[in-house]
Amino acid sequence: MAECILVWSDDDSLLAELLGEASRLAVPGEQEVGVCSLGAPSDVDQQRLASLGADVVYVLDAKADSPGLLVAGLTAAMAEVPAGLFLIGATRTGMEVAPRVAERVGAGYAPWTTGIQLEGSDRQLIASCMLFAGFGRAVCRYGSGPTIVTSALGVFEAVETVRDTIRVEAVGAKEVDSRVEIVEEKAKDAAAGLEQARVIVDCGKGIRERDDLEMVRSLAQVLDGELACSRPLSSDRDWFADWLGLSGTKVRAELCLTLGISGAVQHVVGIRESRVVAAVNNDPDAAIFTQADVGVMADLYEFVPALMERLKARHIRSSS
Amino acid sequence: MRILALVKYSFDIAELRVNPETEELRMRGVPERFGDIDKNVVEAAVRLKEEHGGTVRVLTVGGPAARTALKEILAMGVDDGVFVVDPFEGGGQPSAMVDILEAAIGRSGQFDLLLCGFASDDGYTSQTGPRLAERLSLPLVSYAQELSVAGDVLTATRDLKDHTQGVRVVTPAVVTIAEESFTPRSVTLLDAMKAQKKPVEDLTVEELGLEVEALEARSEFIELSRKGVVVRRRQEILKGEDQDVLADRLIDVLVRDGVLFEEA
Repeated sequence: MAECILVWSDDDSLLAELLGEASRLAVPGEQEVGVCSLGAPSDVDQQRLASLGADVVYVLDAKADSPGLLVAGLTAAMAEVPAGLFLIGATRTGMEVAPRVAERVGAGYAPWTTGIQLEGSDRQLIASCMLFAGFGRAVCRYGSGPTIVTSALGVFEAVETVRDTIRVEAVGAKEVDSRVEIVEEKAKDAAAGLEQARVIVDCGKGIRERDDLEMVRSLAQVLDGELACSRPLSSDRDWFADWLGLSGTKVRAELCLTLGISGAVQHVVGIRESRVVAAVNNDPDAAIFTQADVGVMADLYEFVPALMERLKARHIRSSS
Repeated sequence: MRILALVKYSFDIAELRVNPETEELRMRGVPERFGDIDKNVVEAAVRLKEEHGGTVRVLTVGGPAARTALKEILAMGVDDGVFVVDPFEGGGQPSAMVDILEAAIGRSGQFDLLLCGFASDDGYTSQTGPRLAERLSLPLVSYAQELSVAGDVLTATRDLKDHTQGVRVVTPAVVTIAEESFTPRSVTLLDAMKAQKKPVEDLTVEELGLEVEALEARSEFIELSRKGVVVRRRQEILKGEDQDVLADRLIDVLVRDGVLFEEA
């Protein structure tokens, strides 16, 4: 294990969590926590990174929107520092660049990691990794060489330290021209903040007409929550830009209330990290009832108006 | 336009079951098929061929069932196939599988586009495309949901989480296909019959100049244990005719669980 544990993510919350884990793993006085930052040194929020546990910032002269240049920059950082362990956030861009950097550096790669231990005198990496998109987990021991790890939001915990000093060093990448030219960027009109929402109202195929979304949207408002859906409502019916599930967004709400969701496993993967799952479905055999803390066997078209009425009458709120 | 499309015969992970007592993953009897994402890849390849001419070849590494099912892929409008017998019977590490694919791609000859899924349906770790782009020193366009070609320039729309990105790249290039894009066509009986006659080259890793032991020796990790993930929920059921009563009971449960709050 080399002297530096390196961290990078293009998602700020995820970066904070990975820095927390890197600080936990680093041996005080022997190992440093380094964070990669893109752009100009003047853009670096040194105080924030220091308080999140970083000892040193490696400033890469690369743009975040060009994966090719990012790979070159992160490769240069990992090789030059050198880092024995590199924690990368499992965002779309992170999942693209991590295996590419692993190839260039000749590092091992532990994707979708849910836990890390460094064992023995040579501090070998033992990583718990998701199998089959989250249906299983494998515990794997990696070799003594450098290793790259990717982890999703919510796996590790951020820390706050009182540290306020941090070194800033520049890292230069060899490649400066991207072969992939970016010609256009377009924002999606996806509902923002599903991952941060305390309450999710999750609609499935039990919602019959697009106009019926007004009713469930009102319920989401009463609960101060976000409206979300299963894949068919997005990809088949095109009512939503994004969906919850294996191939979509994964939420970790305090309360996830599903309406007319059958409970296919690919969908449940997207909501199962929520603290409480409540399900409304009129089919007593719906699989969702086995995946919920509380199930209401009812026609959602009769139940939802009654629920809204009672929530209002009893002055129920979703925050204390 | 010469297109090489990579496909993977995958477990239908929706059919995976976990023993709740032992947390054992039950793999026996889980159906396998070419993945949904892999069919999106083939559809993308065939559409480009229909628009611009050229050829589509598919490449896969798998067992006897995959060899049989490859006909379904050929029936989608693919010209020919390359089939490599998987020496690890599905248990190979991603880096070793990339070694095999790299060798097979090298043998297959020149191409303009190498297409594969952004992830496989079962493993879902998104390594194959990015790793191959590095091995082949080619530019990578990941998460593509739209593709168009003019001469040797590929234009693509990348599906990123909160935005889409239009990119341009000079071929040859590696492209990974986003989920839910390029809905696969249905195959007619005639297509299926024609597919029977399409050529498939059968290869072993030895014929690709690789040795199984050498591939194994390059292992990145040792798997110490594996388990299924069991989510235990209370499964409390509420039913009754009166919707207001039912609503009150649900609210009571959620207040008790500390996720809803009643004003005092």
